[in-house]
Amino acid sequence: MRNMVSDAPRTTLTAFYWAFILYLLLPLTLMMAMSFKDANFVAFPIGDWTLDWYAKVMQDKQFLEACLYSIMIAAASTLAATTLGTWIAMLIVADGIRGRTIIFALACLPAVVPGMISAISLRIFISTIDMPTGTAAIILGHTVHAVPFVVVMALTRLRSMPRNLVDAARDLGADGVVAFFRVTLPYLGPALFGGMIFCVLLSIDDFVRTFFLGGYRPTLPMLIFAKVQGGMSPEINAMATIVLVVTAAVGLYAEFITRRARTR
Amino acid sequence: MVNSNTIAGDAAGRSASIPKYSTGIARIVNSAIYRHTLGAAVESPIGRVILLAGVPLIWLVMLHIGPIYQMLKISLLSHYPAQPGVESHFTFDNYAIFFRESLYFTPLIKSFIFATAATAATLVVVYPVAYYVAKIVKPEGRSKALLLLLVPFWAGELIRTFSVIMLLANRGAVNVLLREIGLIDRPIPMLYTSFSLGFGLVYLICLYMLLPLYSAIEKIPGQYLDAAADLGAGPFTRFRRIILPLSKDGIVSGCSLVFLTCIGVFATPMLLGGPNTVMFPETISGFFHGASDKWPVGAAFALIMLVTALIAAGIFMRLVGGKKGSAI
Amino acid sequence: MEPVVQFDNVNKSYGKHVAVDNLNLSIEAGKFVTLLGPSGCGKSTSLRMLGGFETPTSGRIMLSGKDVTRVPPNKRNVNIVFQDYALFPHMSIAKNIAFGLELKGFDNQRIHRRVSELLELVQLQDYAARLPAELSGGQRQRVALMRALAPDPDVLLLDEPLSALDAKLRQQMQIELKAIQEKTGKTFMFVTHDQEEALTMSDTIVVMNKGRIEQMGDPNTLYGRPGSVFVANFIGETNLLRSTVISSEGDVAALNWNGITITANPGGLAPRHGEHLYVVLRPEAIHCSAAEPVSGNRVKGKIRQRVFKGNHTSLMVEVGGGAMLNTLVHPSDVAQLGGEDIWLGWKPETTTVIPDRHAHN
Repeated sequence: MRNMVSDAPRTTLTAFYWAFILYLLLPLTLMMAMSFKDANFVAFPIGDWTLDWYAKVMQDKQFLEACLYSIMIAAASTLAATTLGTWIAMLIVADGIRGRTIIFALACLPAVVPGMISAISLRIFISTIDMPTGTAAIILGHTVHAVPFVVVMALTRLRSMPRNLVDAARDLGADGVVAFFRVTLPYLGPALFGGMIFCVLLSIDDFVRTFFLGGYRPTLPMLIFAKVQGGMSPEINAMATIVLVVTAAVGLYAEFITRRARTR
Repeated sequence: MVNSNTIAGDAAGRSASIPKYSTGIARIVNSAIYRHTLGAAVESPIGRVILLAGVPLIWLVMLHIGPIYQMLKISLLSHYPAQPGVESHFTFDNYAIFFRESLYFTPLIKSFIFATAATAATLVVVYPVAYYVAKIVKPEGRSKALLLLLVPFWAGELIRTFSVIMLLANRGAVNVLLREIGLIDRPIPMLYTSFSLGFGLVYLICLYMLLPLYSAIEKIPGQYLDAAADLGAGPFTRFRRIILPLSKDGIVSGCSLVFLTCIGVFATPMLLGGPNTVMFPETISGFFHGASDKWPVGAAFALIMLVTALIAAGIFMRLVGGKKGSAI
Repeated sequence: MEPVVQFDNVNKSYGKHVAVDNLNLSIEAGKFVTLLGPSGCGKSTSLRMLGGFETPTSGRIMLSGKDVTRVPPNKRNVNIVFQDYALFPHMSIAKNIAFGLELKGFDNQRIHRRVSELLELVQLQDYAARLPAELSGGQRQRVALMRALAPDPDVLLLDEPLSALDAKLRQQMQIELKAIQEKTGKTFMFVTHDQEEALTMSDTIVVMNKGRIEQMGDPNTLYGRPGSVFVANFIGETNLLRSTVISSEGDVAALNWNGITITANPGGLAPRHGEHLYVVLRPEAIHCSAAEPVSGNRVKGKIRQRVFKGNHTSLMVEVGGGAMLNTLVHPSDVAQLGGEDIWLGWKPETTTVIPDRHAHN
């Protein structure tokens, strides 16, 4: 049903949407294009194209180490955040729990505290418990940051779960632990998977917490930050392009998985 | 006898083997280790509560409140970390410093102005996009239209910030293009200014605005608009009288989220801003990376920022009047 | 023989609300017992207490001679078929049925044999590898039943399992359920608000109201000899004639109903003159005719409404004093009634008398 009245706004909005997409994608596209520039300074136009920068990046030990380090931190914090977030969500939906709202608000707290303040408070916190800065502190910081998102995702899924499922498992001889691992956890599966990918991306992307909690080993964002501050080079573009392509692929895959699960 | 054969025969089409059942579970559950630990815990009411609530509550209290509490505690001390020979005592001095020196006061004001402006700009830019995807795109195309908007989100903060440099640098795409068509002779210095910082911030955070707005607008029933059009309301009236009030929840949560994120952004101002755009986070950061005895001041400043940011967001929510606690 | 289930003075209240009020009930092994009543009558709570999902406020529940009042659900040998089936969505049909067997510690071979046997019982052998979402409502119902039967419970509890099915399928499932119960010899405890379901399948019906047992008995007794106004109203359609006793001697009481004198068997009541009574008169017990019946109770009336219901026509007949009687006529007999003015007659022995004091509804 189209009518004359709504046609003009419709066209305008369509144009606006595509302009916005252009705005979103243009800088990233330019950045990627620049990684193929055959010169060691960053400037337009590109002129000659080359893959040399990629070859260089792939041999850059610092970059590869930072990648591994970031992945390791992401894996550890994701695992911890998923476990804790699911556990908290289970507590929030449990029968006969008083103060549900307070627990939920507490669980969400790190998501509303601005990143910078969260980072500083964690820096102070680890110092008060005599924990050194470094890998463990970063993992802790990333876990705190990711927990609220897992809680929200797990809660959404838990609320859609027929409560009889757990009763049925108990009825058939499962105790609370077995019922959780055999029924609730598989039911949460797709939501948790989406949540985990989200946590990984959050962790790999995080700069401010790592900046305050980290030691001398740079994570990926720290390395890129240092390089950008040190001066432009198409090498950074190549690095950023690799990271972008990989994270976007992972994100897209997670989106695909969770969407498929939702329609099931 | 015959029966079990027929079943096996039926299944033979796919696989002749017996399906594998999880027989290990009984072994675990009946093992002595399990029965004396987890098994015993879930049997007793107290054990069940401990099992369910123990770890989550410890985590929430220790790591969701703990850091803020420690920050508060240290902000009231004269010295931290402890130094040999120096006695630390209780003081409000660290807060007083903030109000005494405009050197500290100005960056906070600047941060707030920037965050507010960026939030407003993001709202204005993103609203039509969210509306377009939620109401004009056909339902089956919606997830694709959304997905396209999500792509940059996966790139991460630093890479997105970096990509803005590609666009705005003196020899970046915009300047080169403008020079090519002959509009300018010398590049316009756009990077390291308030403009580049604003541009970068909006670029960074627009998706936090998009998702709440989208879900709020999508929930508005289409019949309301048809009914209003039927009663003679033009597109503008329909927008002002129906869509805008009904998407208030989305506006409130989107704006709060964007505002709180903007306030806490750390890396972007350092990369895109110049000497004139020193933001409060950078100021605070100085107390932690310089001489370490300034920690209490840094903690006090961080708390000032946290409290003012939350109050600002709270006032905004109250003013616009969305549902309470819908920030996330 | 010892009853398989026994409720001793069981109470359950939630704050001030009393859900189950001093329930005493024992159930014999191998019977199909139905708890029947309107929603909120305490039938589901009773079932959940037996399943172990609710703990009685006071009283004792015995299962096969053992006190299970405070035993958790996973430790008692009863299984439930849930209203929405509660099949595990991520497990195949076979895995669903095997769930309880796995926890019993059976080996793979034994689980497979039992699962196959049960699937065969409901002709779902070919569906073993499917997921619940790929099955129809009736098939899911059967799987839920088999899953609950698999661990060989002392009692099978069914919590309104047919309510999600459409009318036709529900009737078919009623017959199938009864057949399965007879074939397996299991004790079934079935909860429903649907009196037709209860009448079709049960050996014993327990009618509950406001947390208490109103009456318990086999379907025939409940239908034919309801013990209270509530039961009479709840089971089947009925005419309740509120009457005053004129005289009563042995098996014959003369009653005044709306100025008409009728007779009925007061049972063991021995009512006195002037006392109020209800006479339960089922629509199908009334005989309609153009001419005045020669014997039994009779009353003249005028047809006010006819509703054609396929195998019978329902007539609303106004009799003296504005009272209405609901009656059934075979469609082919309607024509023989002549005009709107007809005679209604019934034999006193087809009615039941209920004392007025039970009429707390």
